[in-house]
Amino acid sequence: MHLHRASALRLAALLLSLLFLCACGNGTTAQETAEQRTDKTIFAMDTVMDLSPYGENSAAAAEAAAERIQQLEKLFSVTIETSDIARVNAAKGSPVEVSDDTAALLQTALEYCEKTDGALDLSIYPVLKTWGFTTGEYQVPDEDVIQSLLANVDYQKIQLTGDTVQIAEGMEIDLGSVAKGYTGDQVMEVFRENGLTSGMISLGGNVQTLGTKPDGSNWRIAIQDPEGGEGYVGVVEVADQAVITSGGYERFFEEDGVTYWHIIDPATGAPARSGVISATIVGDSGAMCDALSTALFIMGPERAETFWRTYGGFDYLLVLEDGSLIYSEGLQGRFTPMEPWSNNSITVVSK
Amino acid sequence: MKKTSFWVILIAVVALLSALALVWQHHQAKADAVIANIYQDGELIRTIDLNKLTEPETFTVTGPAGENEIVAEPGRICVSHADCPDQVCVNMGWRSEGGFPIVCLPNKLVIEIESSADANPIDGVVG
Repeated sequence: MHLHRASALRLAALLLSLLFLCACGNGTTAQETAEQRTDKTIFAMDTVMDLSPYGENSAAAAEAAAERIQQLEKLFSVTIETSDIARVNAAKGSPVEVSDDTAALLQTALEYCEKTDGALDLSIYPVLKTWGFTTGEYQVPDEDVIQSLLANVDYQKIQLTGDTVQIAEGMEIDLGSVAKGYTGDQVMEVFRENGLTSGMISLGGNVQTLGTKPDGSNWRIAIQDPEGGEGYVGVVEVADQAVITSGGYERFFEEDGVTYWHIIDPATGAPARSGVISATIVGDSGAMCDALSTALFIMGPERAETFWRTYGGFDYLLVLEDGSLIYSEGLQGRFTPMEPWSNNSITVVSK
Repeated sequence: MKKTSFWVILIAVVALLSALALVWQHHQAKADAVIANIYQDGELIRTIDLNKLTEPETFTVTGPAGENEIVAEPGRICVSHADCPDQVCVNMGWRSEGGFPIVCLPNKLVIEIESSADANPIDGVVG
């Protein structure tokens, strides 16, 4: 009897300590992970950037990444007079020596201008300016103004030889559609150089991930509702990839009941009306995803599908004006639509 | 023997109930709060639990490019007015859950809702 009571008490004590151990154990694990993560917010490239590297060296990696971003901004910014791009634009047709980074980014960007048959065009900048999308002083320009500016929009007149860039006189280029993507790739490189294996960054809504989450699971990236609601179209799971969306809702104005957004179709000089209201690209390279999110938004669903079949190497998700979703087969099992989008028509494109 | 089992069961039940109560309390506290963090130039300048508000509150934040008028209501928050020409932050509308923050670039203002601790949290938002 006494013996039994003693063992009963021991059992109870054991149970209690186990419970406390569980509770404390959980708390400590969460805290340790939180301590190893560094969160850094910086304002650069005309947007807000959140860096969240994980690991012992994450604080140093975040600092180094911020420096790298500022270094790239000084090269790519069209509004910083001393940048490579501003110097190219001011050169009146003469050749300009640029940095290795600018040359590398230009080479990638020009490759996608070519592949997308000019849906992406780095020389659309003067048209973007005349609509006021670069300053916020929005206006609907006269058609003849647009046409005269379009005469100088042609990526084929951008010559890149080694580190030397030459554009036709009267042209202006801008890397706004690809610079953040390239920067994302570079930040991943900085994280790797600092010995990290896990991290996530958001460069103004361009998300790029290094490895998986520290617990080995995929990153869950939500796609913003393009109709301005605060919900999400759905969630895509990724590891070691970039997820980049272009949407008309990011920067727009209304005049006489018409909405004009900042993604300009180089074929018309006006906001792209392809039926797409949001284009998301998932792929290994941030620069590629950035370039293609703009291009596929402009192309529309049919051209986008043909492009994907021809080149592949990425996956895409389009949201159309009627609320329907189209995505490529690689996202099957990785993309989960949310209500109300999950009730709409959903098409999976296969090769 | 019967007495012993009684004590074992009693202590086990009490321990289990307290553990459950702890978990429940923890869960409730997280589920009930909708925390909006307001940052300027990366510095946290204000934290509001939107679910603790009983009536709308309007306040102004001044940044390098002018003013942003912020409206916080029970459960949601938005920028209602901004001095800047592009009005991106005003166009972003209301926020009541985690995810894509409201951003005013000219004033380096960021309003972010802490993600609630649901079963499948979101790590990032593209847009």
